[in-house]
Order: sequence, then structure tokens, then C-alpha cells
Amino acid sequence: MSNDRSVADAETQREQSRQGAVDRTTPTTAPSIEIDGLELTYGDGTAAVDGVDLTVADGEFFGFLGPNGAGKTTAIKVLATLLSPTAGEVRVNGFDVRAEPRKVRESIGYMAQETSIDPELTAEENIRFACEAYGVPRSKRDDRTAELLDLVDLTAVADKRSEGFSSGMKKRLDAATALVHRPPLVFLDEPTTGLDPNARNRLWEYFRRINARGTTVFLTTQYLEEADQLCERLAVILDGGIVADGSPDELKRQVGGDVLDIELQDGEDARARAVEIAGKFDAFEDAIVEGTETGISVTAKTARESGTDLLVALRDAGLTVTGFNVRAPTLDDVFLAITGERVDIESTAGGVETEAAAGTEETS
Amino acid sequence: MSGETQSADHEIPRSSNTFAGDVWVNFKRWNLKAVRNPFVLVVSLAQPFIFLVLFTEVFGNVAGGAVSEGLGPGIDYTTFLVPAIAIQVALASAVTSGIGLVNDIENGMFEKVLVSPMNRTAVFVGKTLAEVFRIALQIAIILGLGVLLGAEITTGVVGALGIIGVGIVFSFWFIAFSNTLAVLTRDQESTIIGANLLQFPLLFLSSAFLPLEVLPNWIQLFARINPVTYGVDAARAIMLDEDVMTVLEVTAFDGALDTIVPAVAVLAGLGVAFGGVAVYLLSRASSSDVR
Repeated sequence: MSNDRSVADAETQREQSRQGAVDRTTPTTAPSIEIDGLELTYGDGTAAVDGVDLTVADGEFFGFLGPNGAGKTTAIKVLATLLSPTAGEVRVNGFDVRAEPRKVRESIGYMAQETSIDPELTAEENIRFACEAYGVPRSKRDDRTAELLDLVDLTAVADKRSEGFSSGMKKRLDAATALVHRPPLVFLDEPTTGLDPNARNRLWEYFRRINARGTTVFLTTQYLEEADQLCERLAVILDGGIVADGSPDELKRQVGGDVLDIELQDGEDARARAVEIAGKFDAFEDAIVEGTETGISVTAKTARESGTDLLVALRDAGLTVTGFNVRAPTLDDVFLAITGERVDIESTAGGVETEAAAGTEETS
Repeated sequence: MSGETQSADHEIPRSSNTFAGDVWVNFKRWNLKAVRNPFVLVVSLAQPFIFLVLFTEVFGNVAGGAVSEGLGPGIDYTTFLVPAIAIQVALASAVTSGIGLVNDIENGMFEKVLVSPMNRTAVFVGKTLAEVFRIALQIAIILGLGVLLGAEITTGVVGALGIIGVGIVFSFWFIAFSNTLAVLTRDQESTIIGANLLQFPLLFLSSAFLPLEVLPNWIQLFARINPVTYGVDAARAIMLDEDVMTVLEVTAFDGALDTIVPAVAVLAGLGVAFGGVAVYLLSRASSSDVR
């Protein structure tokens, strides 16, 4: 696409690429990322990545999801040639990260977890330096710089030193510098961590635009909502191993069905009885029944089909149902199912050993 | 490969910088940063300049006698002092090299550069060249101010260029040293303190401010192993066009060259030794090997 500034165009393309996502994985082009048995063990013996196999197709918006310390950043650093793998094969844009690191570097954009800009340079100078570092032809540098400043809405402050920018502006500038050479693949390592919702939404919008232009995006995040909003495909990493892989919808299906939320009248006693009834309900196999503030919540494979039967059973037991809703599980539910606990964003991934073991069994 | 698809984002339109091109890109960035940062440009010049003015005004009359005792009569203290201040400028400016590196590590630019396809040697060469360029300019300014204050460069413009050259050769070991501190501590304050703490002992325990003959024995002994002595002596030999070195007796050449040649040789050797350590540590810090 020649004119990146046309948002309408970009959105159209975005729609097409979303719909065409499945087709584009067919091997007309090599995959952007091919990881085979990647292991990375630090000097102190910590196995940060322990047997990861992964393929990311050209043009995909891919999300790497996991709590702090799960191995996301280590994996992305291997892909960006900042760390050499201990074992395994890693190819990025068709180039081996060990044998041809410079070819890899030429063909990727990388946005580190910590915002990386030169605070003493202006927004424009930061982008210009990146243009020069990536060998953007001299004749194209002016246009490219102007275009990127516009794309990340920093044209008005182009001549201001970046040290005075808000963290959201710095992040956007950082993202722009990762794209000067129009790389076919961009790595974004927790790009929105620490940003307010407004700044986050703007970055999301921006990442969607890049992906709509055909750029493969590899994003790591701890935010389930972010992954759900942006990514076509996700892998969940825990303790150095991938424990789930698929589209957000597929992952949600792995939760074991849909979620039926029921609201009840008559307070706590009624809820306790309803939990009891739902727990013994024959039509649900392995259902998870929880009491909620206003009623109960049932997660079951047959929640959709047999939901009404449960409602009837509750009425027959003399309970008054005041509302109900069948919904697909959120990624929050996915994480709960995989890790056995609600994800605590800011704390480390403690207490998930049992589940992680399942994901890493093929390493040995 | 992905290069085969020719949609806008799949070209990799890299003009593939040459080594010199990568050097130039980094040279420009560090010069721009130096201009932006008043600390780097002014402070590293202000302190030596204050030394130059205060020392000549306060000690000028007293020290004149000591200078005559060491180097013979007729040498003005300002003329004696200016070469030492030139070396002080090189010392003070070399510290900022390590500080720049620490800042780059802290604000993420170090990693950003490592992820780019630039040649890594060229990256450090470009940065060091910018620092050396700044040192040359600052010594030129000090020499100009010195002449305004009454100092006399016996060897003229060629001599002034020679003193700048000595200052550059001298700066290498300290640039390397401050970078070594930077990589080891990865902390701005430690680097500044570590490098600055050394500056005054190095300057005072050398031939910088007075001839060694009038200084206590232990200082004379330390001055022998102090790089500042060799830098100052070489610069001063050019300034006065005389063999002023007392720590090494060389007579193989003629006149001032008996000081300049051995002193520059010692400084070059130091530069290689310290440079070797810094290059080793820098390449380890930028390597992708897991530690």
C-alpha cells in the first residue's frame, strides 16, 4: 500500500486481512518466525525458555501471553538476536538467528519493554537516527520521518526534546523508530505496560494500522484484554513452556464450554440452594459452579444447550430467576482454566507449577 | 524469503551502510548530544579554565621561581601551565565518554543500537571519534585563551596542532578507563565519582603544576608511573621547544623530541593496554551469549 496515512484504506485492508487470515498462512511466503525446540538457560542455571516450538505466519498479529517471569521477554530477545539460544533452531524472516544475525536485524523492528529513546534528541532526530541506523536511503528519509511522526501523532512536537514527553508519547516515539525501515516483522515487548487507558487505546489503534499494512506483529503482553482485542492468534507461556496455542476464540473454547450467569432473588440462602442444584444437575458434566454477588455462575460444555433446563429446575425448586446470560468465556477465564488461578498482573507467576509441567513435558 | 513479496512493508530497502557510514551516523549523534548537553560542553571546559586563571593569578608570582629552578629562567608561569591545562581538559572530557555509555545503557539506546544492523565496532568508533573531536576543540579553545592571557607557544601554529595531537593520544587511556568503569558499574554516579575522584590526584601528583624537582620525593616517585606526567611533559616540550622530561632520560633524538617521542610512545602503549580491556568488556556486554 503506497499511502499509509489513509486510515480508511488501512481499516479496509485490516478487515480483509482479518478475514483472509487463514488463507495467508498457506505457504505462499515463508513463515515470519519458525522456532523449533528453543531452550535458553541463563548462566545461573535458570531455564527461562524450556522447549518452545512455534510458527508465526507472515502477516499474522500474534500474541505471546503470560505472567511476569514466564519467559516472554527472554524468548523475544532470542528472536531479536539479543540472546543466543542454548538449544534449538530459530529462524526469523527465513534467516537463522545464530548464523545470520545481521540479516535478521535488517528485517525486523524491535520495541523493547523499557521505552528506548534518546532523551537529548528531539522526536524527529530520534526517528532520523533510526533511519540512518537502518540504512534508509537518504532520499527517502525526510518523507519516512514525516510519515512516521504523523502516524504516531507527534508532528506537533517534532522539534521538542523527547525528555519532556509523557510516557505515552515516548512509547509512541519508540514504536515509530522501530518501523523506519518498514520491516515485515515487528516485535513489541509489553508495549502498553504502565500506560493509562487512553494512551493504550491510541497505541492499539496504531498497532492495528501497522498490521493492516501487512506487517507481521509479535506482541507480548500480560493483559488478557489486550491480547483479545488485537491478536489473531495467541500462545500462552508459563514457566518457559507454551501451555496453550490458538485463536482467542479457540482458547476460550478450551475453557470447557460457555458461561451461564444467573441472577436470583431472595439472597444468600437461595444462592446456596441454587449452587447445590446446579452442581448436581445431570445435563452438565464437570461443570464449575460458583456463587456470585447476585446469583450463580456455571461454566459447562453444555451451558448453551441445557441452560434453560437448569432455569426450569431452579423454578421448580421455588427459586425466582430475575435474569440470565449465556456468554463465551473471556481470556481471563482461559487463564483461570490453564493456571488454576486468576492472573495477578503485577505479581510474579507463583503457584502455577502443576499446570506448567503439562506444557513442558515434551522437552526431555 | 520475505524479500520476495513486494508489498510496501515487505521491501527491505536498506542501502546497507558501509563501515564508514555507520561510524558517521554515530559520530553525528554524539556530537548532537554534546551540543545539547551543556554539562558535557561547558563544565568540562569551565573547570580547567578556572584552574588556568586562578593558578596563574594566585600562584603565578610564587611559582615563577620554582619554574626557573626546574626549567631555567625566563619561562612565564602561564606558558608553563597552559600545556598542563590542555591535558586536564583531555582528562575531564574523557570522563564523559563513560558517562555517555552509562546513559545509553540506562535509557535503552545501547540495546536499541545492538538490535540495529549497524556494525558494532563502527558504533563505538563513531562515539569515540566524536569525543576525541570534542577534546581537540576544547584544547584549541584553552590554547587560545592561554595565548590571550600571555602564554607563548614557541613552536607556533604547528606546535598548537602538536599539543592537540598529544592531548588526543593522552585521552585514549582515560576514555578507555571511563568506559571500563561504565560497563563494570552500569551506574552513572559510580562512573562519575570513580573517574572524577582520580582526576585531582593524577593532576597534582605529576609535573602539571610545578616542576618535579621542587616537589617531595614521594610525589616524584608517583609521577614516574602517572600518565599525566607523560602527557604534560610532551605538551610542554612542544610549547617550550625544549626537552623538559625528567622522569625518563632519553637523548637519542634532538631537543624537544627527546621528550615528545618517549612520552607519546608511553601514552600510546597505555592507550592500547587500557583500550584492550575496554574493547573486551564492551564486546562482552554487547554479545548475545547468555551469562
